Amino acid sequence: MSTLPVTPVTSVSLDVHHVTRVEGHGNIVVDVQNGVLKHCELQIIETPRFFEAMLRGRPYTDAPHLVSRICGICSVGHQTASVQALEAALEVTPSEQAMLLRKLLFHGEILDSHILHVYMLVAPDFYGAGSVLPLASSHPQVVLRALRMKKTAGDLCAMIGGRHTHPVTMRVGGFTRLPAAGELEKLRARLDGLRGDVDATVELFRSLTVPDFERSTEYIALSLPDEYAFIGGTITSTDGFQLPVSAYREVTNEFLVPHSTAKHTSHHRESYMVGALARFNINHARLHPRARAAAVALGLKPICANPYMNSAAQVVEIAHCVEDAVALIDKLLARGILPEAPPAVDIRAGEGVAACEVPRGTLYHHYRIGDDGQVAGANCIIPTGQNLANIEADMRALVPRILDRTPDQIRLALEMLVRAYDPCISCATHMLDIRFE
Amino acid sequence: MTDTLVLGLGNTLRGDDGVGPAVIGWLQGRGLPPEVSTWEGDAAGLELTLAMAEHRRVIVVDAADLGRAPGAWLRLTPDRARLKSGASALSLHAAGLWDALALGAALNLLPNEIVIYGIQPAQLDWLPVLSAEAQAAVPNVGRAVLHEIGGQDGKDSDH
Repeated sequence: MSTLPVTPVTSVSLDVHHVTRVEGHGNIVVDVQNGVLKHCELQIIETPRFFEAMLRGRPYTDAPHLVSRICGICSVGHQTASVQALEAALEVTPSEQAMLLRKLLFHGEILDSHILHVYMLVAPDFYGAGSVLPLASSHPQVVLRALRMKKTAGDLCAMIGGRHTHPVTMRVGGFTRLPAAGELEKLRARLDGLRGDVDATVELFRSLTVPDFERSTEYIALSLPDEYAFIGGTITSTDGFQLPVSAYREVTNEFLVPHSTAKHTSHHRESYMVGALARFNINHARLHPRARAAAVALGLKPICANPYMNSAAQVVEIAHCVEDAVALIDKLLARGILPEAPPAVDIRAGEGVAACEVPRGTLYHHYRIGDDGQVAGANCIIPTGQNLANIEADMRALVPRILDRTPDQIRLALEMLVRAYDPCISCATHMLDIRFE
Repeated sequence: MTDTLVLGLGNTLRGDDGVGPAVIGWLQGRGLPPEVSTWEGDAAGLELTLAMAEHRRVIVVDAADLGRAPGAWLRLTPDRARLKSGASALSLHAAGLWDALALGAALNLLPNEIVIYGIQPAQLDWLPVLSAEAQAAVPNVGRAVLHEIGGQDGKDSDH
Protein backbone atom coordinates (compact mmCIF):
# COMPACT_ATOMS: atom_id res chain seq x y z
CA MET A 1 0.00 0.00 0.00
CA SER A 2 1.20 3.49 -0.72
CA THR A 3 1.82 5.87 2.11
CA LEU A 4 0.69 9.42 1.98
CA PRO A 5 3.07 12.36 1.70
CA VAL A 6 3.57 14.35 4.86
CA THR A 7 0.91 17.02 5.04
CA PRO A 8 1.02 20.47 6.67
CA VAL A 9 0.00 20.88 10.30
CA THR A 10 -3.28 22.45 9.28
CA SER A 11 -4.43 19.37 7.45
CA VAL A 12 -6.12 16.11 8.22
CA SER A 13 -4.67 13.00 6.73
CA LEU A 14 -6.39 9.73 7.35
CA ASP A 15 -5.03 6.46 6.20
CA VAL A 16 -7.09 3.67 7.64
CA HIS A 17 -5.21 0.54 6.82
CA HIS A 18 -6.43 -2.91 7.49
CA VAL A 19 -3.56 -5.26 7.06
CA THR A 20 -4.67 -8.73 6.34
CA ARG A 21 -3.34 -12.23 6.23
CA VAL A 22 -3.30 -12.98 2.56
CA GLU A 23 -5.20 -10.45 0.52
CA GLY A 24 -8.40 -8.48 0.36
CA HIS A 25 -9.75 -5.77 2.66
CA GLY A 26 -10.05 -2.11 1.89
CA ASN A 27 -7.99 0.86 2.91
CA ILE A 28 -9.65 4.25 3.14
CA VAL A 29 -7.27 7.02 2.14
CA VAL A 30 -8.28 10.64 2.66
CA ASP A 31 -5.98 13.64 2.38
CA VAL A 32 -7.22 17.09 3.34
CA GLN A 33 -4.91 20.08 3.15
CA ASN A 34 -5.82 23.51 4.49
CA GLY A 35 -9.47 22.60 4.59
CA VAL A 36 -9.54 21.37 1.00
CA LEU A 37 -10.03 17.71 0.05
CA LYS A 38 -7.04 16.77 -2.08
CA HIS A 39 -7.38 13.08 -2.34
CA CYS A 40 -9.92 10.45 -1.40
CA GLU A 41 -10.11 6.80 -2.35
CA LEU A 42 -11.03 3.33 -1.24
CA GLN A 43 -8.13 1.05 -2.03
CA ILE A 44 -9.20 -2.47 -2.71
CA ILE A 45 -7.10 -5.49 -3.38
CA GLU A 46 -9.57 -7.99 -4.61
CA THR A 47 -9.73 -11.34 -6.22
CA PRO A 48 -8.02 -10.72 -9.56
CA ARG A 49 -9.29 -11.85 -12.92
CA PHE A 50 -9.05 -15.52 -12.09
CA PHE A 51 -12.62 -16.27 -13.01
CA GLU A 52 -12.22 -16.95 -16.71
CA ALA A 53 -8.87 -18.69 -16.22
CA MET A 54 -10.42 -21.01 -13.67
CA LEU A 55 -13.31 -22.07 -15.90
CA ARG A 56 -11.98 -22.04 -19.45
CA GLY A 57 -11.61 -25.51 -20.94
CA ARG A 58 -13.63 -27.22 -18.21
CA PRO A 59 -16.94 -29.00 -18.82
CA TYR A 60 -19.86 -26.59 -18.35
CA THR A 61 -21.15 -28.82 -15.53
CA ASP A 62 -18.11 -27.84 -13.42
CA ALA A 63 -18.94 -24.13 -13.51
CA PRO A 64 -21.82 -23.95 -10.96
CA HIS A 65 -19.85 -26.15 -8.58
CA LEU A 66 -16.63 -24.12 -8.81
CA VAL A 67 -18.17 -20.65 -8.72
CA SER A 68 -20.13 -21.44 -5.56
CA ARG A 69 -16.76 -21.57 -3.80
CA ILE A 70 -15.67 -18.09 -4.84
CA CYS A 71 -17.40 -16.60 -1.82
CA GLY A 72 -18.39 -18.07 1.53
CA ILE A 73 -21.25 -15.59 1.85
CA CYS A 74 -22.67 -15.46 -1.70
CA SER A 75 -22.23 -19.10 -2.71
CA VAL A 76 -25.93 -19.59 -3.56
CA GLY A 77 -25.96 -16.34 -5.54
CA HIS A 78 -22.94 -17.32 -7.65
CA GLN A 79 -24.32 -20.79 -8.25
CA THR A 80 -27.76 -19.48 -9.20
CA ALA A 81 -26.33 -16.92 -11.63
CA SER A 82 -24.08 -19.61 -13.11
CA VAL A 83 -26.88 -22.13 -13.60
CA GLN A 84 -29.19 -19.50 -15.10
CA ALA A 85 -26.52 -18.26 -17.51
CA LEU A 86 -25.74 -21.82 -18.61
CA GLU A 87 -29.45 -22.46 -19.13
CA ALA A 88 -29.58 -19.39 -21.37
CA ALA A 89 -26.56 -20.66 -23.32
CA LEU A 90 -27.85 -24.23 -23.66
CA GLU A 91 -31.52 -23.28 -24.13
CA VAL A 92 -32.73 -25.22 -21.10
CA THR A 93 -35.91 -24.15 -19.32
CA PRO A 94 -36.11 -25.11 -15.64
CA SER A 95 -39.40 -26.45 -14.34
CA GLU A 96 -41.74 -24.33 -12.21
CA GLN A 97 -40.85 -26.47 -9.19
CA ALA A 98 -37.13 -25.90 -9.80
CA MET A 99 -37.69 -22.14 -9.93
CA LEU A 100 -39.71 -22.17 -6.69
CA LEU A 101 -36.93 -24.08 -4.94
CA ARG A 102 -34.28 -21.78 -6.42
CA LYS A 103 -36.13 -18.73 -5.08
CA LEU A 104 -36.54 -20.33 -1.66
CA LEU A 105 -32.84 -21.20 -1.46
CA PHE A 106 -31.94 -17.69 -2.59
CA HIS A 107 -34.01 -16.17 0.23
CA GLY A 108 -32.03 -18.30 2.70
CA GLU A 109 -28.80 -16.70 1.55
CA ILE A 110 -30.17 -13.15 1.49
CA LEU A 111 -31.40 -13.65 5.07
CA ASP A 112 -28.12 -15.17 6.21
CA SER A 113 -26.02 -12.40 4.71
CA HIS A 114 -28.24 -9.47 5.74
CA ILE A 115 -28.54 -10.74 9.33
CA LEU A 116 -24.76 -11.08 9.51
CA HIS A 117 -24.26 -7.59 8.15
CA VAL A 118 -26.83 -5.58 10.09
CA TYR A 119 -26.16 -7.25 13.44
CA MET A 120 -22.46 -8.06 13.36
CA LEU A 121 -21.02 -5.17 11.35
CA VAL A 122 -23.50 -2.27 11.52
CA ALA A 123 -25.21 -2.57 14.91
CA PRO A 124 -21.95 -2.31 16.91
CA ASP A 125 -21.42 1.21 15.45
CA PHE A 126 -24.73 2.38 16.79
CA TYR A 127 -23.99 0.96 20.22
CA GLY A 128 -20.54 2.55 20.14
CA ALA A 129 -19.20 -0.95 20.69
CA GLY A 130 -16.39 -0.95 18.13
CA SER A 131 -17.09 -4.52 17.04
CA VAL A 132 -19.46 -7.36 17.68
CA LEU A 133 -17.29 -8.82 20.47
CA PRO A 134 -17.91 -6.07 23.05
CA LEU A 135 -21.53 -6.03 21.89
CA ALA A 136 -21.78 -9.75 22.67
CA SER A 137 -20.66 -8.98 26.22
CA SER A 138 -22.81 -5.88 26.75
CA HIS A 139 -25.94 -6.99 24.84
CA PRO A 140 -25.73 -10.78 24.52
CA GLN A 141 -29.45 -11.10 23.78
CA VAL A 142 -29.01 -8.97 20.63
CA VAL A 143 -26.15 -11.11 19.31
CA LEU A 144 -27.87 -14.36 20.30
CA ARG A 145 -30.96 -13.27 18.38
CA ALA A 146 -28.79 -12.66 15.32
CA LEU A 147 -27.20 -16.11 15.61
CA ARG A 148 -30.62 -17.72 16.09
CA MET A 149 -31.98 -16.00 12.95
CA LYS A 150 -28.83 -16.83 11.02
CA LYS A 151 -29.12 -20.48 11.98
CA THR A 152 -32.64 -20.76 10.57
CA ALA A 153 -31.44 -19.14 7.34
CA GLY A 154 -28.42 -21.47 7.19
CA ASP A 155 -30.57 -24.53 7.84
CA LEU A 156 -32.87 -23.44 5.00
CA CYS A 157 -29.83 -23.31 2.70
CA ALA A 158 -28.68 -26.75 3.89
CA MET A 159 -32.12 -28.30 3.35
CA ILE A 160 -32.56 -27.06 -0.23
CA GLY A 161 -28.91 -26.67 -1.27
CA GLY A 162 -27.62 -29.82 0.41
CA ARG A 163 -24.91 -28.09 2.46
CA HIS A 164 -24.64 -25.10 4.77
CA THR A 165 -21.96 -23.08 3.02
CA HIS A 166 -21.68 -24.18 -0.58
CA PRO A 167 -24.76 -25.72 -2.22
CA VAL A 168 -24.37 -28.96 -4.16
CA THR A 169 -27.90 -29.81 -5.33
CA MET A 170 -28.40 -27.15 -8.02
CA ARG A 171 -27.87 -28.22 -11.63
CA VAL A 172 -28.71 -26.83 -15.05
CA GLY A 173 -32.46 -27.46 -15.30
CA GLY A 174 -33.22 -28.40 -11.70
CA PHE A 175 -32.12 -30.05 -8.47
CA THR A 176 -30.44 -33.39 -7.77
CA ARG A 177 -32.11 -33.66 -4.38
CA LEU A 178 -35.64 -32.54 -3.48
CA PRO A 179 -36.91 -31.75 0.01
CA ALA A 180 -39.66 -33.95 1.47
CA ALA A 181 -42.99 -32.33 2.33
CA GLY A 182 -42.35 -33.00 6.01
CA GLU A 183 -39.02 -31.13 5.86
CA LEU A 184 -40.70 -28.15 4.23
CA GLU A 185 -43.43 -28.14 6.87
CA LYS A 186 -40.83 -28.05 9.65
CA LEU A 187 -38.96 -25.25 7.90
CA ARG A 188 -42.19 -23.32 7.49
CA ALA A 189 -42.85 -23.60 11.24
CA ARG A 190 -39.38 -22.27 11.99
CA LEU A 191 -39.83 -19.34 9.61
CA ASP A 192 -43.19 -18.62 11.26
CA GLY A 193 -41.36 -18.55 14.56
CA LEU A 194 -38.87 -16.03 13.16
CA ARG A 195 -41.46 -13.25 12.86
CA GLY A 196 -40.96 -12.15 16.47
CA ASP A 197 -37.22 -11.83 15.84
CA VAL A 198 -37.89 -9.90 12.61
CA ASP A 199 -40.11 -7.47 14.52
CA ALA A 200 -37.41 -7.10 17.18
CA THR A 201 -34.87 -6.40 14.43
CA VAL A 202 -37.04 -3.64 12.95
CA GLU A 203 -37.55 -2.22 16.45
CA LEU A 204 -33.79 -2.26 17.11
CA PHE A 205 -32.92 -0.40 13.91
CA ARG A 206 -35.78 2.05 14.43
CA SER A 207 -34.18 3.12 17.68
CA LEU A 208 -30.80 3.82 16.07
CA THR A 209 -29.90 7.17 14.57
CA VAL A 210 -28.63 7.02 11.00
CA PRO A 211 -26.12 9.70 9.91
CA ASP A 212 -27.79 12.49 7.98
CA PHE A 213 -26.16 12.47 4.54
CA GLU A 214 -27.73 12.50 1.10
CA ARG A 215 -26.19 12.61 -2.36
CA SER A 216 -28.20 12.35 -5.56
CA THR A 217 -27.31 8.91 -6.97
CA GLU A 218 -28.29 6.63 -9.81
CA TYR A 219 -29.62 3.33 -8.43
CA ILE A 220 -29.65 0.17 -10.53
CA ALA A 221 -31.39 -3.13 -9.82
CA LEU A 222 -33.15 -5.93 -11.66
CA SER A 223 -36.91 -5.65 -11.79
CA LEU A 224 -39.77 -8.00 -12.60
CA PRO A 225 -43.42 -7.10 -13.14
CA ASP A 226 -44.98 -9.35 -10.51
CA GLU A 227 -42.40 -9.85 -7.80
CA TYR A 228 -39.59 -8.19 -5.86
CA ALA A 229 -36.79 -9.35 -8.15
CA PHE A 230 -33.88 -11.45 -6.92
CA ILE A 231 -33.39 -13.89 -9.81
CA GLY A 232 -33.53 -12.53 -13.36
CA GLY A 233 -35.50 -9.55 -14.67
CA THR A 234 -34.73 -6.35 -16.51
CA ILE A 235 -31.86 -4.04 -15.56
CA THR A 236 -33.63 -0.93 -14.29
CA SER A 237 -32.24 2.48 -13.28
CA THR A 238 -33.79 5.25 -11.20
CA ASP A 239 -32.60 7.53 -14.03
CA GLY A 240 -35.30 5.96 -16.18
CA PHE A 241 -33.32 3.44 -18.22
CA GLN A 242 -34.17 -0.20 -18.79
CA LEU A 243 -31.98 -2.78 -20.50
CA PRO A 244 -32.09 -6.54 -20.99
CA VAL A 245 -29.57 -8.52 -18.93
CA SER A 246 -27.79 -9.54 -22.15
CA ALA A 247 -26.76 -5.87 -22.58
CA TYR A 248 -25.11 -5.71 -19.14
CA ARG A 249 -21.85 -4.32 -20.50
CA GLU A 250 -23.65 -1.09 -21.44
CA VAL A 251 -24.37 -0.63 -17.75
CA THR A 252 -21.24 -1.88 -16.10
CA ASN A 253 -18.70 -0.07 -18.32
CA GLU A 254 -15.83 -1.66 -16.47
CA PHE A 255 -12.63 0.27 -16.10
CA LEU A 256 -9.53 -0.23 -14.00
CA VAL A 257 -8.17 2.42 -11.66
CA PRO A 258 -4.58 2.41 -10.44
CA HIS A 259 -5.24 2.08 -6.69
CA SER A 260 -7.48 -0.95 -6.91
CA THR A 261 -7.30 -4.35 -8.53
CA ALA A 262 -11.10 -4.50 -8.51
CA LYS A 263 -12.88 -3.43 -11.66
CA HIS A 264 -14.75 -0.16 -11.19
CA THR A 265 -17.96 0.50 -13.11
CA SER A 266 -20.06 3.50 -14.09
CA HIS A 267 -23.29 3.95 -16.01
CA HIS A 268 -24.56 7.30 -17.27
CA ARG A 269 -23.19 9.29 -14.38
CA GLU A 270 -19.74 8.96 -12.84
CA SER A 271 -21.01 6.07 -10.75
CA TYR A 272 -24.09 4.14 -9.63
CA MET A 273 -25.17 2.10 -6.63
CA VAL A 274 -26.47 -1.47 -6.46
CA GLY A 275 -27.69 -3.40 -3.42
CA ALA A 276 -30.60 -3.44 -1.01
CA LEU A 277 -31.18 0.34 -1.14
CA ALA A 278 -31.19 0.29 -4.96
CA ARG A 279 -33.63 -2.62 -4.97
CA PHE A 280 -35.86 -0.86 -2.48
CA ASN A 281 -35.78 2.40 -4.46
CA ILE A 282 -36.77 0.58 -7.66
CA ASN A 283 -38.95 -2.31 -6.51
CA HIS A 284 -40.54 -1.11 -3.23
CA ALA A 285 -44.08 -1.50 -4.64
CA ARG A 286 -43.57 -5.26 -4.91
CA LEU A 287 -42.45 -5.81 -1.31
CA HIS A 288 -44.56 -7.94 1.02
CA PRO A 289 -46.93 -5.75 3.12
CA ARG A 290 -45.02 -6.61 6.31
CA ALA A 291 -41.79 -5.44 4.66
CA ARG A 292 -43.46 -2.23 3.51
CA ALA A 293 -44.63 -1.69 7.10
CA ALA A 294 -41.03 -2.23 8.24
CA ALA A 295 -39.88 0.44 5.76
CA VAL A 296 -42.41 2.90 7.16
CA ALA A 297 -41.26 2.11 10.71
CA LEU A 298 -37.62 2.66 9.70
CA GLY A 299 -38.37 5.94 7.92
CA LEU A 300 -37.27 4.53 4.58
CA LYS A 301 -39.03 6.17 1.62
CA PRO A 302 -38.26 5.87 -2.09
CA ILE A 303 -36.17 7.38 -3.56
CA CYS A 304 -33.86 7.43 -0.56
CA ALA A 305 -30.43 8.91 -1.39
CA ASN A 306 -28.76 8.28 1.97
CA PRO A 307 -26.29 5.39 1.51
CA TYR A 308 -26.23 4.76 5.28
CA MET A 309 -29.87 3.63 4.84
CA ASN A 310 -28.69 0.60 2.87
CA SER A 311 -28.68 -1.25 6.20
CA ALA A 312 -32.31 -0.22 6.82
CA ALA A 313 -33.19 -1.52 3.35
CA GLN A 314 -31.53 -4.81 4.31
CA VAL A 315 -33.76 -5.02 7.40
CA VAL A 316 -36.77 -4.43 5.13
CA GLU A 317 -35.58 -7.25 2.88
CA ILE A 318 -35.16 -9.55 5.89
CA ALA A 319 -38.88 -9.02 6.60
CA HIS A 320 -39.73 -9.58 2.93
CA CYS A 321 -37.66 -12.75 2.52
CA VAL A 322 -39.11 -14.41 5.63
CA GLU A 323 -42.65 -13.76 4.37
CA ASP A 324 -41.90 -14.73 0.78
CA ALA A 325 -40.08 -17.91 1.88
CA VAL A 326 -43.24 -18.94 3.77
CA ALA A 327 -45.34 -18.17 0.68
CA LEU A 328 -42.98 -20.21 -1.55
CA ILE A 329 -43.16 -23.18 0.83
CA ASP A 330 -46.98 -22.95 0.86
CA LYS A 331 -46.97 -22.97 -2.94
CA LEU A 332 -44.61 -25.97 -3.06
CA LEU A 333 -46.71 -27.88 -0.51
CA ALA A 334 -49.95 -27.08 -2.34
CA ARG A 335 -48.51 -28.36 -5.63
CA GLY A 336 -46.91 -31.39 -4.01
CA ILE A 337 -43.20 -32.11 -4.57
CA LEU A 338 -42.86 -33.82 -7.95
CA PRO A 339 -40.02 -36.39 -8.12
CA GLU A 340 -38.38 -34.78 -11.13
CA ALA A 341 -34.68 -34.97 -12.03
CA PRO A 342 -32.88 -32.25 -13.99
CA PRO A 343 -33.65 -32.74 -17.70
CA ALA A 344 -31.07 -34.18 -20.09
CA VAL A 345 -29.13 -31.37 -21.76
CA ASP A 346 -28.54 -31.26 -25.49
CA ILE A 347 -24.87 -30.20 -25.74
CA ARG A 348 -24.43 -27.37 -28.22
CA ALA A 349 -22.35 -24.27 -28.70
CA GLY A 350 -24.01 -21.24 -27.17
CA GLU A 351 -23.66 -18.08 -25.18
CA GLY A 352 -25.67 -16.94 -22.18
CA VAL A 353 -25.84 -14.17 -19.62
CA ALA A 354 -27.77 -14.18 -16.36
CA ALA A 355 -28.11 -11.78 -13.47
CA CYS A 356 -29.24 -12.13 -9.88
CA GLU A 357 -29.72 -9.67 -7.04
CA VAL A 358 -27.33 -11.15 -4.48
CA PRO A 359 -27.17 -9.52 -1.03
CA ARG A 360 -24.77 -6.76 -2.17
CA GLY A 361 -26.45 -6.04 -5.52
CA THR A 362 -26.57 -7.19 -9.10
CA LEU A 363 -24.30 -10.12 -10.00
CA TYR A 364 -23.71 -10.98 -13.67
CA HIS A 365 -22.39 -14.28 -15.02
CA HIS A 366 -21.66 -14.68 -18.73
CA TYR A 367 -20.51 -17.88 -20.46
CA ARG A 368 -19.62 -19.05 -23.94
CA ILE A 369 -19.90 -22.80 -24.39
CA GLY A 370 -18.18 -24.67 -27.23
CA ASP A 371 -19.84 -27.47 -29.21
CA ASP A 372 -17.88 -29.91 -27.01
CA GLY A 373 -19.74 -28.64 -23.92
CA GLN A 374 -16.63 -26.97 -22.52
CA VAL A 375 -16.47 -23.41 -21.27
CA ALA A 376 -14.86 -21.32 -24.01
CA GLY A 377 -15.21 -17.98 -22.23
CA ALA A 378 -16.53 -16.63 -18.93
CA ASN A 379 -17.07 -13.29 -17.25
CA CYS A 380 -18.35 -12.33 -13.82
CA ILE A 381 -19.21 -8.85 -12.54
CA ILE A 382 -19.72 -8.67 -8.79
CA PRO A 383 -21.77 -6.00 -7.00
CA THR A 384 -18.93 -4.59 -4.91
CA GLY A 385 -16.97 -3.80 -8.09
CA GLN A 386 -19.98 -1.84 -9.31
CA ASN A 387 -20.27 0.07 -6.03
CA LEU A 388 -16.62 1.12 -5.62
CA ALA A 389 -16.84 4.26 -7.76
CA ASN A 390 -20.02 5.26 -5.93
CA ILE A 391 -18.47 4.75 -2.49
CA GLU A 392 -15.64 7.09 -3.50
CA ALA A 393 -18.11 9.66 -4.86
CA ASP A 394 -19.94 9.52 -1.52
CA MET A 395 -16.67 9.98 0.37
CA ARG A 396 -15.77 13.00 -1.76
CA ALA A 397 -19.16 14.54 -1.00
CA LEU A 398 -19.13 13.63 2.68
CA VAL A 399 -15.64 14.68 3.77
CA PRO A 400 -16.02 18.45 3.12
CA ARG A 401 -19.24 18.42 5.17
CA ILE A 402 -17.61 16.90 8.25
CA LEU A 403 -14.23 18.64 8.33
CA ASP A 404 -15.14 20.33 11.61
CA ARG A 405 -14.96 16.95 13.32
CA THR A 406 -11.92 15.30 14.86
CA PRO A 407 -9.88 12.89 12.72
CA ASP A 408 -11.27 9.99 14.75
CA GLN A 409 -14.83 11.12 14.12
CA ILE A 410 -14.13 11.56 10.39
CA ARG A 411 -12.57 8.12 10.28
CA LEU A 412 -15.60 6.58 11.96
CA ALA A 413 -18.04 8.36 9.61
CA LEU A 414 -16.10 7.05 6.58
CA GLU A 415 -15.80 3.53 7.95
CA MET A 416 -19.52 3.49 8.69
CA LEU A 417 -20.20 4.66 5.14
CA VAL A 418 -18.11 1.86 3.63
CA ARG A 419 -19.64 -0.66 6.02
CA ALA A 420 -23.15 0.44 4.98
CA TYR A 421 -22.38 -0.78 1.46
CA ASP A 422 -21.58 -4.19 2.94
CA PRO A 423 -18.59 -4.62 0.62
CA CYS A 424 -17.26 -8.00 -0.38
CA ILE A 425 -13.57 -7.35 -0.23
CA SER A 426 -11.99 -10.58 0.72
CA CYS A 427 -13.41 -13.78 -0.61
CA ALA A 428 -10.15 -15.58 -0.54
CA THR A 429 -8.41 -18.11 1.65
CA HIS A 430 -9.44 -18.93 5.16
CA MET A 431 -6.07 -20.08 6.37
CA LEU A 432 -5.30 -19.87 10.07
CA ASP A 433 -2.70 -17.39 11.11
CA ILE A 434 -1.07 -18.65 14.27
CA ARG A 435 1.42 -17.06 16.60
CA PHE A 436 2.78 -19.22 19.36
CA GLU A 437 2.74 -17.87 22.87
CA MET B 1 -26.51 -33.08 17.61
CA THR B 2 -23.61 -35.42 18.16
CA ASP B 3 -20.93 -35.61 20.83
CA THR B 4 -18.03 -34.65 18.58
CA LEU B 5 -17.84 -32.39 15.55
CA VAL B 6 -14.92 -32.59 13.14
CA LEU B 7 -14.73 -29.35 11.21
CA GLY B 8 -12.68 -29.00 8.01
CA LEU B 9 -12.08 -25.35 7.10
CA GLY B 10 -10.64 -23.76 3.98
CA ASN B 11 -11.43 -22.71 0.43
CA THR B 12 -10.99 -25.68 -1.90
CA LEU B 13 -10.33 -23.34 -4.84
CA ARG B 14 -7.24 -21.95 -3.17
CA GLY B 15 -4.74 -24.76 -3.38
CA ASP B 16 -3.68 -26.07 0.01
CA ASP B 17 -6.25 -23.93 1.81
CA GLY B 18 -8.53 -26.83 0.88
CA VAL B 19 -6.58 -29.34 3.00
CA GLY B 20 -9.15 -29.17 5.87
CA PRO B 21 -12.09 -30.26 3.67
CA ALA B 22 -9.80 -32.91 2.11
CA VAL B 23 -9.19 -34.46 5.54
CA ILE B 24 -12.97 -34.49 6.11
CA GLY B 25 -13.37 -36.33 2.79
CA TRP B 26 -10.73 -38.86 3.89
CA LEU B 27 -12.52 -39.40 7.23
CA GLN B 28 -15.90 -39.80 5.56
CA GLY B 29 -14.40 -42.50 3.37
CA ARG B 30 -13.27 -44.41 6.48
CA GLY B 31 -16.62 -44.38 8.27
CA LEU B 32 -17.00 -42.68 11.62
CA PRO B 33 -18.78 -43.68 14.84
CA PRO B 34 -22.38 -42.37 15.08
CA GLU B 35 -21.49 -39.94 17.88
CA VAL B 36 -19.17 -38.08 15.50
CA SER B 37 -20.36 -35.69 12.80
CA THR B 38 -18.32 -33.87 10.20
CA TRP B 39 -18.72 -30.52 8.54
CA GLU B 40 -16.87 -29.23 5.52
CA GLY B 41 -16.96 -25.68 6.77
CA ASP B 42 -15.12 -24.34 3.74
CA ALA B 43 -15.06 -20.57 4.01
CA ALA B 44 -17.53 -20.49 6.89
CA GLY B 45 -17.34 -17.57 9.29
CA LEU B 46 -19.37 -16.63 12.34
CA GLU B 47 -21.89 -19.43 11.77
CA LEU B 48 -19.17 -21.68 13.21
CA THR B 49 -20.00 -20.28 16.65
CA LEU B 50 -23.37 -22.03 16.86
CA ALA B 51 -22.11 -25.12 15.03
CA MET B 52 -19.44 -25.54 17.71
CA ALA B 53 -21.81 -24.70 20.57
CA GLU B 54 -23.94 -27.73 19.81
CA HIS B 55 -21.17 -30.22 20.62
CA ARG B 56 -19.17 -31.37 23.62
CA ARG B 57 -15.96 -31.60 21.63
CA VAL B 58 -14.82 -29.94 18.42
CA ILE B 59 -11.85 -31.01 16.33
CA VAL B 60 -10.86 -28.42 13.71
CA VAL B 61 -8.67 -29.24 10.71
CA ASP B 62 -7.35 -26.27 8.75
CA ALA B 63 -4.40 -24.98 6.79
CA ALA B 64 -2.23 -22.94 9.12
CA ASP B 65 0.89 -20.86 8.81
CA LEU B 66 3.07 -22.71 11.29
CA GLY B 67 6.37 -21.43 9.97
CA ARG B 68 7.34 -24.99 9.05
CA ALA B 69 7.99 -27.02 5.92
CA PRO B 70 5.00 -27.56 3.60
CA GLY B 71 2.92 -30.54 4.71
CA ALA B 72 4.10 -30.34 8.35
CA TRP B 73 1.26 -30.43 10.84
CA LEU B 74 0.60 -29.74 14.50
CA ARG B 75 -2.06 -30.61 17.03
CA LEU B 76 -2.88 -27.49 19.00
CA THR B 77 -5.29 -26.27 21.61
CA PRO B 78 -6.64 -22.73 21.32
CA ASP B 79 -4.83 -21.62 24.48
CA ARG B 80 -1.51 -22.66 22.97
CA ALA B 81 -2.05 -20.90 19.67
CA ARG B 82 -2.96 -17.29 19.30
CA LEU B 83 -5.11 -17.08 16.21
CA LYS B 84 -5.47 -13.87 14.30
CA SER B 85 -8.80 -12.35 13.36
CA GLY B 86 -9.68 -12.50 9.70
CA ALA B 87 -12.39 -9.87 9.89
CA SER B 88 -11.53 -6.28 9.06
CA ALA B 89 -13.33 -3.21 10.30
CA LEU B 90 -15.01 -2.92 6.92
CA SER B 91 -16.20 -6.42 6.12
CA LEU B 92 -16.92 -9.77 7.72
CA HIS B 93 -16.13 -11.68 4.56
CA ALA B 94 -12.88 -12.97 5.94
CA ALA B 95 -14.17 -13.75 9.43
CA GLY B 96 -13.04 -17.22 10.34
CA LEU B 97 -12.23 -19.55 13.19
CA TRP B 98 -10.67 -16.95 15.47
CA ASP B 99 -13.69 -14.69 15.12
CA ALA B 100 -16.10 -17.56 15.73
CA LEU B 101 -14.12 -18.65 18.81
CA ALA B 102 -13.96 -15.09 20.16
CA LEU B 103 -17.69 -14.61 19.68
CA GLY B 104 -18.40 -18.00 21.26
CA ALA B 105 -16.23 -17.08 24.25
CA ALA B 106 -17.99 -13.71 24.67
CA LEU B 107 -21.37 -15.45 24.65
CA ASN B 108 -20.18 -18.33 26.81
CA LEU B 109 -21.14 -20.86 24.15
CA LEU B 110 -17.93 -22.76 23.51
CA PRO B 111 -17.53 -26.48 24.17
CA ASN B 112 -14.95 -27.45 26.78
CA GLU B 113 -12.79 -29.35 24.39
CA ILE B 114 -11.47 -27.74 21.22
CA VAL B 115 -8.51 -29.19 19.36
CA ILE B 116 -7.01 -27.76 16.17
CA TYR B 117 -4.97 -29.69 13.62
CA GLY B 118 -3.02 -27.14 11.58
CA ILE B 119 -1.30 -28.13 8.35
CA GLN B 120 1.38 -26.01 6.68
CA PRO B 121 0.38 -25.18 3.07
CA ALA B 122 2.82 -25.15 0.15
CA GLN B 123 0.77 -22.87 -2.09
CA LEU B 124 -2.47 -20.87 -1.93
CA ASP B 125 -2.98 -19.92 -5.58
CA TRP B 126 -6.29 -20.21 -7.40
CA LEU B 127 -6.03 -23.93 -8.04
CA PRO B 128 -8.67 -26.49 -7.09
CA VAL B 129 -6.04 -29.11 -6.18
CA LEU B 130 -3.69 -29.82 -3.26
CA SER B 131 0.11 -29.82 -3.50
CA ALA B 132 1.88 -33.17 -3.13
CA GLU B 133 3.02 -32.13 0.37
CA ALA B 134 -0.47 -31.26 1.58
CA GLN B 135 -1.90 -34.36 -0.07
CA ALA B 136 0.65 -36.49 1.76
CA ALA B 137 -0.40 -34.95 5.09
CA VAL B 138 -4.11 -35.78 4.57
CA PRO B 139 -4.06 -39.48 5.62
CA ASN B 140 -1.63 -38.79 8.46
CA VAL B 141 -3.79 -36.07 9.93
CA GLY B 142 -6.88 -38.19 9.23
CA ARG B 143 -5.40 -41.08 11.23
CA ALA B 144 -4.45 -38.73 14.08
CA VAL B 145 -8.03 -37.44 14.19
CA LEU B 146 -9.38 -41.01 14.23
CA HIS B 147 -6.99 -41.77 17.07
CA GLU B 148 -8.24 -38.73 18.95
CA ILE B 149 -11.89 -39.62 18.38
CA GLY B 150 -11.15 -43.07 19.80
CA GLY B 151 -10.35 -41.44 23.10
CA GLN B 152 -6.59 -41.67 22.81
CA ASP B 153 -5.86 -38.13 23.67
CA GLY B 154 -2.43 -37.74 22.14
CA LYS B 155 -0.15 -35.11 23.55
CA ASP B 156 0.36 -32.09 21.35
CA SER B 157 2.05 -33.71 18.45
CA ASP B 158 4.56 -32.28 16.09
CA HIS B 159 5.09 -33.84 12.69
